[in-house]
Amino acid sequence: MLEAHNLYKSFSAHQVLKGVSLSVHPGEIQVLIGLNGCGKTTLQRILTGILEPDQGTVSIGGRDITALPPEDRRIGYVPQNTALFKHLTIRENILYPLQNGRGTEESFNEVVRMLSLEPYLAWKPEKLSGGYRARVALARALVSAPRAMLLDEPITEVDRAKKEYVLPLFREVLLQLHIPVLYITHDPWEAGQIGTSFSVMKDGVVERIASPEEAFALIREQARSNGE
Amino acid sequence: MRKVSAWEVLFVPLFFLLIVYPILAILGNVTIEGMVKTFGDPIFWDAVKNTLITAFFAALLGVLLALGFGYFYIFHPGTVMYKIADFMNDLPIALPHTVAGLALLLAFGRNMFGFVGPTGLAFTLVAVVLAMFFVSYPLAARTIASAAEEIDREQINVARTLGDTPPKAYRRVVIPVLGEAIFSGFVLSFSRSLSEFAAVIMFGGNVPGMTQVLASYVFTKVEEGEVSMAVTASAFCIMLSLMLVLILRMRGRLHARSAQSV
Repeated sequence: MLEAHNLYKSFSAHQVLKGVSLSVHPGEIQVLIGLNGCGKTTLQRILTGILEPDQGTVSIGGRDITALPPEDRRIGYVPQNTALFKHLTIRENILYPLQNGRGTEESFNEVVRMLSLEPYLAWKPEKLSGGYRARVALARALVSAPRAMLLDEPITEVDRAKKEYVLPLFREVLLQLHIPVLYITHDPWEAGQIGTSFSVMKDGVVERIASPEEAFALIREQARSNGE
Repeated sequence: MRKVSAWEVLFVPLFFLLIVYPILAILGNVTIEGMVKTFGDPIFWDAVKNTLITAFFAALLGVLLALGFGYFYIFHPGTVMYKIADFMNDLPIALPHTVAGLALLLAFGRNMFGFVGPTGLAFTLVAVVLAMFFVSYPLAARTIASAAEEIDREQINVARTLGDTPPKAYRRVVIPVLGEAIFSGFVLSFSRSLSEFAAVIMFGGNVPGMTQVLASYVFTKVEEGEVSMAVTASAFCIMLSLMLVLILRMRGRLHARSAQSV
């Protein structure tokens, strides 16, 4: 289980996280929905180990990983801009973690097959569309044999029509892993397409919600109170 | 008809008078006799060889250290070490180069490095390399730091979640995309080293055939009254510098074209 307990983080006088707690079980795709600027990126950085919290803990499978650097956490991470390595081919991108003793040629072949990436392995990332770049970023994270996955708005670049195809594919692949998956987005529709459970981030805390529709109402209410 | 602005009226004559004219003054004074004497002088070719070798190693050292600075810039920008290194980067630019030469002489001369020889490291080719490096390194460091600024930090973050330690992420993700900056940093550093005179003469000396470089060869020939030889050596320096500038320009254009085609 991926757990965050009572996370606090401030930048100067601005408190971004005000006691964030969440838990994601193996086989669960929990979608965290929040408006831009609500602290989603800060939370993502703390979970991946890029940023240290002021207070609180992060654990995987009951083991406290708060003090571990990103390279020792084994959290597969797919960022918003996909962050593919432009100087490498698609094959080299996906095989990247193998040099760190993570993943195998077999897992590479399986992931490439599942995400239909075979025809593009010799290409450079700039030749791919947004949807395929997101697939490669997902494949690269999956090959590293992660204990949990964190996807931060991974298909923002993809248009709606393609999202309708990509999201069920991602959902199918992620569910097969049977590891905790946290999927961050600001789009409640996207959340409904991929998630098995939902939470919303608002005013620096995370609350569980029953459906993405609840997020619509909360986001509308927040936007109204912000005068947007 | 296009209206000529006051800036153009100011710029064009001053540019030609103060920049182009002195260069032409050198080139226009090159004589056959001077060329025969200079190119037949083995000491001149020793100075050329010394200049190219020492400038090459100074630029190489400069780029290596600049890559180290780039590492601090990316992974430890809040540390005292980074802040000191960043501040010191500007120092050799502002410092009189005679002072830089004296500083090197005191630091690596016979008082502190007497165990390596009677003059320490002073008045050797190593001293020439160190003097050139001291004044040219900031150019390489600034070039690499500004290229590192453009790098997508998320790529580094992802590399780390895939198991890379910071040094490994730097080697696998950052350095491969710094290729252009490494090349520019090297050429800039090399060019600056070619032109260095004061720090070199203070710390490396001006021993013909041993530590004499092109800049100090020109100075010696003027002192000896061999103006035609000084002019020829200077024209040779100008051609060398123009070649380096051309290489940088052509490489920059090629890079811009390949970036546009992506």
